[in-house]
Amino acid sequence: MWLPIRIDEQRPEPLYHQIEVQLRGLILGGQLQEGALLPSIRELAMSLKCSAITVRRVYQDLENEGLIRTRQGTGTFVAGVDSAARDEHRLDRVAEELERAIETGLQLQCTVKEMEDLFQRIVARKVKDRKEGPS
Amino acid sequence: MTGLDDAANAVTLRGVRLQRDRFQLGPLDCDIPRGMVTAIVGPNGSGKSTLFRMLLGLEPVTRGEAAVLGTRLDLKNDGSFKARIGFLSENPHAYENSFTADEKARFASKWYPSWDWERYRKLLRHFDGDGNVKLSKLSKGMRRKVELSIAMAHDPELLLLDEPSSGLDPFAWKVMLEELQRYMEAGDKTLILASHVTEEVRRLADYILFIYRGRILGLYEKDRLFDDWRVLAVQQQGSDGSGKLQQTPGLQGLSETGPGLFRLEVNEPERAETYCRSCGFQVLGVQRMELEDILGCLIRKEEARR
Repeated sequence: MWLPIRIDEQRPEPLYHQIEVQLRGLILGGQLQEGALLPSIRELAMSLKCSAITVRRVYQDLENEGLIRTRQGTGTFVAGVDSAARDEHRLDRVAEELERAIETGLQLQCTVKEMEDLFQRIVARKVKDRKEGPS
Repeated sequence: MTGLDDAANAVTLRGVRLQRDRFQLGPLDCDIPRGMVTAIVGPNGSGKSTLFRMLLGLEPVTRGEAAVLGTRLDLKNDGSFKARIGFLSENPHAYENSFTADEKARFASKWYPSWDWERYRKLLRHFDGDGNVKLSKLSKGMRRKVELSIAMAHDPELLLLDEPSSGLDPFAWKVMLEELQRYMEAGDKTLILASHVTEEVRRLADYILFIYRGRILGLYEKDRLFDDWRVLAVQQQGSDGSGKLQQTPGLQGLSETGPGLFRLEVNEPERAETYCRSCGFQVLGVQRMELEDILGCLIRKEEARR
């Protein structure tokens, strides 16, 4: 099975972290359904050009979080995720993106007022675009 | 380092030295873990092929201690460990030229107790190799494919491949990667390969063993290596502080690329970045390093030490 995980060579985060965040996102975001069979450690390592040690570490972390489970001899599967965890993840993801945008704003010496105004304006425009659908 | 007989390691070397007319290998000290893929990387003439010959028991270990698959390579061992190893040499053997792949396989089947004709046929089919043509009549890549099939047909515990992809076209190369992935899948097999092909090392390796002029420059976990080694581009702001860059944490290489512009190779990127900022430099960019650039750094350090 192929997973849409992309490694960004230029990011400062270590490889295992990049893979773990994305795989967790795929599970919590619902793109990977309960019971889905994940690639073997060696298969994923080769497709992502990382070591089996890294993939094993990611699988172990996610297994400890209860997101995946390994059945001896058959493979690694996505476990059931409760909706509370899924909801929390949804907000976490958005908060993360907003934080990055605010960091940029602060770096460029925006005031709080300016950023709040921008936020309101962009939200209003995007919501309107959505309602009208793609032009 | 652990003991010589630690089952977690496929290969253990302790102070191993081999003296040749114009070349000394060692002293070598390292543990190559079982169940993993280790790539041996180094310039031509580093001693990779000699190291392989030693692991195969073809070069007697007279100084230091070595163990392969739990068997000590001394005069007392009966050589039975060799049947648990698969080997592909860098160059084909001329004395086998008049054999076909099937004929060579027949010899191999007698020598390896775990030989599996079914596996041999499958490999040959997957590689699209021809078993009925004299080896000397095959193109370089075709010969590589059939020899690889023979080397893997007894499903060895340890597979040693010396420049396996040399001569392979991109399709055969992909087939090889698939077969090596399948081989490693069970988790108890060990693959050691010497390779000049960066892409191959990136795809396959769990560990990288750097070797140069017969000496080991280091055994690294691959992802750690690429995570840790980075190149920083920094720019001086105001007064001349270039002298301070010599003290950058984890500094491996430093060059001035333009007026006030410096390129630093480091293996502690976060500390290095903080340090450069604190010395009044602007950090313009941080990038991961290529395998050959890391090797270049290690070689420069080794040369400075000599």
